[in-house]
Amino acid sequence: MGVDLSVEVGRIRMKNPVTVGSGTFGFGREMADFYDLSQLGAITVKGTSLEPWQGNDYPRTVETPSGMLNAIGLQNDGIDSLINEKMPFLRQYDVPVIVNVVGHSLEEYIEVASRLDKVEGIAGLEINVSCPNVKEGCMVFGTTPQGTAEVVRGVRAATGLTLITKLSPNVTDIVSIAQAAVDAGSDALSLINTLMGTAIDPWARKFRLANVTGGLSGPAVKPVALRMVYEVARSVDVPVIGMGGIMTAGDAIEFIVAGASAIAVGTANFVNPMAAVEIIDGIEEYLTKMGFASVDDIVGTVS
Amino acid sequence: MPKIPYSMKGIYDCELIEQSEVSEGVWLARLMGPQIARSVTAGQFVNVQVSKCTDPLLRRPFSVHAAYPDEGAFSLLYVVIGRGTRLFQRICAGEKISVVGPLGTGFDLGDQPHTEHIVVAGGCGAAPLHFLCDALCEKWGCEHITVLAGGRSKEAVLCEDEFRSHGVDIEVATDDASYGYGGFVTGLLSEVIGQRKGNESNIRIYSCGPHAMMREVARICHESKVANCQVSLENNMACGIGVCTGCVQKIKAPHTQQGWEYKRVCKDGPVFNAEDVIWE
Ligand SMILES: Cc1cc2nc3c(=O)[nH]c(=O)nc-3n(C[C@H](O)[C@H](O)[C@H](O)COP(=O)(O)OP(=O)(O)OC[C@H]3O[C@@H](n4cnc5c(N)ncnc54)[C@H](O)[C@@H]3O)c2cc1C
Ligand SMILES: Cc1cc2nc3c(=O)[nH]c(=O)nc-3n(C[C@H](O)[C@H](O)[C@H](O)COP(=O)(O)O)c2cc1C
Ligand code: FES
Repeated sequence: MGVDLSVEVGRIRMKNPVTVGSGTFGFGREMADFYDLSQLGAITVKGTSLEPWQGNDYPRTVETPSGMLNAIGLQNDGIDSLINEKMPFLRQYDVPVIVNVVGHSLEEYIEVASRLDKVEGIAGLEINVSCPNVKEGCMVFGTTPQGTAEVVRGVRAATGLTLITKLSPNVTDIVSIAQAAVDAGSDALSLINTLMGTAIDPWARKFRLANVTGGLSGPAVKPVALRMVYEVARSVDVPVIGMGGIMTAGDAIEFIVAGASAIAVGTANFVNPMAAVEIIDGIEEYLTKMGFASVDDIVGTVS
Repeated sequence: MPKIPYSMKGIYDCELIEQSEVSEGVWLARLMGPQIARSVTAGQFVNVQVSKCTDPLLRRPFSVHAAYPDEGAFSLLYVVIGRGTRLFQRICAGEKISVVGPLGTGFDLGDQPHTEHIVVAGGCGAAPLHFLCDALCEKWGCEHITVLAGGRSKEAVLCEDEFRSHGVDIEVATDDASYGYGGFVTGLLSEVIGQRKGNESNIRIYSCGPHAMMREVARICHESKVANCQVSLENNMACGIGVCTGCVQKIKAPHTQQGWEYKRVCKDGPVFNAEDVIWE
């Protein structure tokens, strides 16, 4: 008997607990050169806005010790392109699609959500109220419980899709924001988005990113992410998607036993485009070896 | 299973066959990788994992310098400039290196016979252009190709002997006038185009090197109205495979409001039409 890898996040049935970090997988097309996307538990696509966003000036990325900073600024082709060009491609695969939604204003979030509501193949929306690289909207909402609740409530009224709120680690009390999102109708939570940071070239005495600040991701953020996932998961009763520096199946298991029902592979995709599928295999191997029947058996079992 | 377009792009564990310092701080590495060697085209690059640790975390992009499809090998020519390239240089023959590739959009070799192809190389921009010369020679014959290779000094001019051994016409420019034409390679380019007055519409230019050099190449090409001018650009890369939108370049886009859009150097490039690039 094989182990049961399937998990549920809201009404999204995932065949295994592994999705990908929004913005680290594009809209799937480039990754399909490496493996069959149907192997994933879910695909979370790049942040998508009502109109196309051109993003920030470059340099947009810089490597840091065991991590990287990015200030992409949510460059994306907008919702029409998602519906007409990207979704038909993704529908070829047997995999739920989660769309990361961004907006400059509450109205934009609501309009994107309502237009995606009936699009075939979309299983859920991840409300990004935590992007550190865009001046208006976005993180402005995500840094207070009230702001977060306002967006979640608005979007909740506009869609019947599973709603996942993506939380920012750049806050004093992530648990209160998590609770506000759940109270406002979020079916699940995902965390963490990137940690705000910067990098400086000492010889030129210049910032290394055109945007000055960027979001830190990769192995460097894992301890912070793990702590936040643990604290949030034990204080809410909705599923949590954990992410932040996951490179291996071992990292993924740490997030799951800390309380995550599912996990997302982000920056690891850049280092090893096969990372997500290797992590799925590794989780299965772990469960088999340890004698567990399912992923659910180990969620939140850390002591 | 859905139909997935066939692609040789992949992650391969490539054995390092040998590497040596060909000029001060410049290394030539030969790797075993049949899939890459047999499918890579001139101007494409590979993304090399120089360390198995998480620091440095990201792969390093290098243009393919030559492909040997029969042996299943390919080579990279790189300048040791920071941590990643220092680690690369320390990898020993026989060790396996994880390589993602072939990546990006390479050079368009044209479809008109009787065209003259002028290749303008600056420093380690010689790497992709060396491969390009192989491809141009094979397609059009070496007698139609002129290489203009530039560097700060004689030592900084890379691949000169290899270019010569192709049997292409080569002229060298050094900034310090220690060898060949004294001055920037772009000055040499102006002269060479000047010698072909009236024939500009029959010339295709290919260039790789420092950004400022390529900008000047683009300007000269624009003014002299050569048939086509392609440049191979660089930018910081996180993924190298087109998913992060980190490596962008402003490219003209008449259909947009501001007239340009950000294109990914790793996927839509690294080779772009010089006329389309917004030079800053
Ligand atoms: C498509 C492409 C093809 C390339 N082909 C070659 C080649 O054939 N031969 C060669 O010698 N070099 C090539 N480069 C540049 C090469 O990737 C960088 O020199 C290398 O990544 C530096 O790594 P490092 O760790 O030694 O230096 P670091 O310590 O990381 O940085 C040293 C310097 O290199 C710059 N740099 C760092 N990463 C990159 C990057 N990804 N792209 C450009 N500059 C960077 C930094 O801004 C810094 O100034 C290419 C770059 C690209 C994007
Ligand atoms: C280049 C890049 C782009 C990203 N874009 C988005 C985005 O559009 N929306 C979002 O919610 N998170 C975005 N993120 C954050 C990731 O989804 C993830 O939350 C974060 O990187 C932590 O996970 P990791 O360390 O595994 O990468 C991005 C991260 C990176 C590195
Ligand atoms: S480096 Fe990620 S899109 Fe080019």
